[in-house]
Amino acid sequence: MERKTFRGGAHPPERKDRTSELPIEYVRSVKQVVVPVNQHFGPPIQPLVKVGDSVKRGQKIADAEGRMTVPVHAPISGVVKKIEPRLQPNNAEGPAIVIEPDGSDVVDFLPVLDAFSCTKDQALARIREAGIVGMGGAGFPAHVKLAPPPNKPIDVVIANAAECEPYLTIDERLLAERPGDVVDGMAILLKTLGVAKGVIGLEANKEHLVPLLSETIAERRREGQEISVIVLETKYPQGGEKMLITAITGKEVPSGGLPMDVGCVVQNVGTLAAVADAFNKGQPLIERGFTVTGGACKTPKNLVVPIGTLVSDLVPDTIQVDDENLARVVAGGPMMGPAVPSYAFPIQKNTSGVLLMDKAEARYFQEQPCIRCGRCMRACSCRLSPALLNEALNAGDLDAAEAIGVLDCIECGTCSFVCPSRIQLVQRFRIGKQLLRAKKQKEAQRAR
Amino acid sequence: MPANSLLLSSSPHVYSGVTTRRLMLSVIIALLPATVFGVVLYGLPALGVILTSVAASVLSEAGFRALLKRDIRIGDLSAVVTGLLLALIIPPSTPLWMVALGAVFAIVVAKEFFGGLGANPFNPALVGRAIMIMSFPAALTTWHSPFAPIADAYTTATPLNLLKMGQSLTDVASTVGASTPAGLYWNLLIGTRAGSIGESSVILLLAGAAFLLIMGVIAWVTPVFMLGSIALFSWILGVDPLVAVISGGAVLGAFFMATDYASTPMTPKGKAIFGIGAGLVTVLIRQFGGFPEGVTYGILIMNAFAPFLNKLRVPKYGFVKPAKPAKEGSR
Ligand code: SF4
Ligand code: SF4
Repeated sequence: MERKTFRGGAHPPERKDRTSELPIEYVRSVKQVVVPVNQHFGPPIQPLVKVGDSVKRGQKIADAEGRMTVPVHAPISGVVKKIEPRLQPNNAEGPAIVIEPDGSDVVDFLPVLDAFSCTKDQALARIREAGIVGMGGAGFPAHVKLAPPPNKPIDVVIANAAECEPYLTIDERLLAERPGDVVDGMAILLKTLGVAKGVIGLEANKEHLVPLLSETIAERRREGQEISVIVLETKYPQGGEKMLITAITGKEVPSGGLPMDVGCVVQNVGTLAAVADAFNKGQPLIERGFTVTGGACKTPKNLVVPIGTLVSDLVPDTIQVDDENLARVVAGGPMMGPAVPSYAFPIQKNTSGVLLMDKAEARYFQEQPCIRCGRCMRACSCRLSPALLNEALNAGDLDAAEAIGVLDCIECGTCSFVCPSRIQLVQRFRIGKQLLRAKKQKEAQRAR
Repeated sequence: MPANSLLLSSSPHVYSGVTTRRLMLSVIIALLPATVFGVVLYGLPALGVILTSVAASVLSEAGFRALLKRDIRIGDLSAVVTGLLLALIIPPSTPLWMVALGAVFAIVVAKEFFGGLGANPFNPALVGRAIMIMSFPAALTTWHSPFAPIADAYTTATPLNLLKMGQSLTDVASTVGASTPAGLYWNLLIGTRAGSIGESSVILLLAGAAFLLIMGVIAWVTPVFMLGSIALFSWILGVDPLVAVISGGAVLGAFFMATDYASTPMTPKGKAIFGIGAGLVTVLIRQFGGFPEGVTYGILIMNAFAPFLNKLRVPKYGFVKPAKPAKEGSR
């Protein structure tokens, strides 16, 4: 099969073999959940419950008005014990609702909804009400992507199954164990958007799943829908939204634009399965799968847990940690996931992995001078010039940084990965982007 | 849980195995065949030049940085590369004190004065050679026949000298013991001819270059454009293009000097223009300049343009040409 891809990129060691064959383990009972109120990309929402309230599993516990907001639901039935700021996996503190189970397991799901007979508005409302956000990235509200303005016609829905981050295997397991739900989720999105063409894109290291997926697609074939599977080269950052679109359609998302500008909607496969659950079972997004692995993890696994479960609460019954050798904890994959100060953080809607890296894996390198080897330029999938960007930012020249394209940087970290001098390129670009945005804001205010 | 001992650096948390030291080591390995061949051709004096140059480079870098109380970076092996390259582009009979002086100059003036590794605008080894040629013109243009004891002071001209003096290919061929131009080509490829220590064996240099290309240490763009440009412009000026490419220091310069990271452009377009320019200047100096060989100056002159050539970037991903400024008031 032909393998599509994009220009640039790198091949970090995959390290997926410890977990890629392990079936997903479901953890249902936990001693508490710490549910961050804001798990979406958008304006903050408010708790709808008070300390002392009893909540049912699936009951909405936080919400607000607004197009870019997404509600949060109780992942377990129990009693609200506290509402207080807690550490989130993005390394910041945010309000969180702490619920302790009462053992009743009463359920309060939404009614089942048939996506193929309901209206588009009903379907969009359901996706929002079920609290669905992009589960592979920044937690972008799913319903917003599905309601593009009329001047942006969509012609393909892409399921992101690339899973290009090293170590992570949860999407792979999801495809292997719940292919029907992924395909159903895709069909629901196609119906909701009124689009005929759906593509599931996965990296060549998951090529063995193609027959299963093709079979599932054939079984569930619907009139007027055409879902296909495309195998992509195994290369980082193949799962980056822009790279995936370019690999599959050959088009480039315009600078400063969105996938819908080139007629694409991209959703992670986990999100698709969550959509299927929201319609077929009425179940809101209250649990998620992730991979826990790394050199200091004695029990590498693929797990599904109630959202808000503290990783530390899973130790030692479900996860065993080699605390002696633990050097770094990462929430997510090693290329883009933030390092966190401890593993006492809650799994939230977009947490795809927990890496417990040992001393050998989590080495710390001293920055050395740039030797101008150009490797970062060749590797940058956005065709930026990281070395020159770094120079500009070190010189405090934000205008030059903007001209080179710092705002187009997708923060994939490929440049830092390949740099032989271990220069903190992407790390500096993240700061540079913030500085530049702040500067622009100031200028805009002054102009007003 | 040992919370405060955890590393909190920002992502990525994994790195490729390629380090600066490994890149430099690859270059040294790639140069070894030509280096060893140089010693075979010219014997112990060549070995003396090589060891002196490398030792002087490493010691002067360490000494200079120690003097300025900066971190000593000789572990990155870049000084070894500079020293080795310098030795390979000078005659085997160069007095060792001149070699040492040239190496110190290359490291201290051409590299460390500008801030050290990665910050040198000119190729240090070439600067070292250029200074030596200006200071000791006689010693730096005294050539020896291979396999002859250098102490005998039996000197000869390089094929490039002879061509410049207007000799025909067949005449030049006879000086290297070949009777036909084909024999001359073969001789130049093998490298049993008079010249600098490491420049003569095209085959061994190409083997080293292939290794660097396969390992991804250098990009093909600059050498291909530079050698192509030398062939083209030589041909235009009536010189046999193949001889022009495989004689003198063209191959060594194109693959090992014009690919120097710090002093040449990083962008593909910049690299192409750099190669073309370096080739053109090389040919012009060979034909009209005072020196028989122009590679050194061809590359050094283009080094000066590298910062400008770096501005020739490919358009970034998703680049949209800015629309023509809208008419006043239409916003
Ligand atoms: S990869 Fe690192 S050393 Fe090489 S040019 Fe880029 S920043 Fe400089
Ligand atoms: S500059 Fe940005 S987009 Fe390019 S490789 Fe680095 S992090 Fe990725």
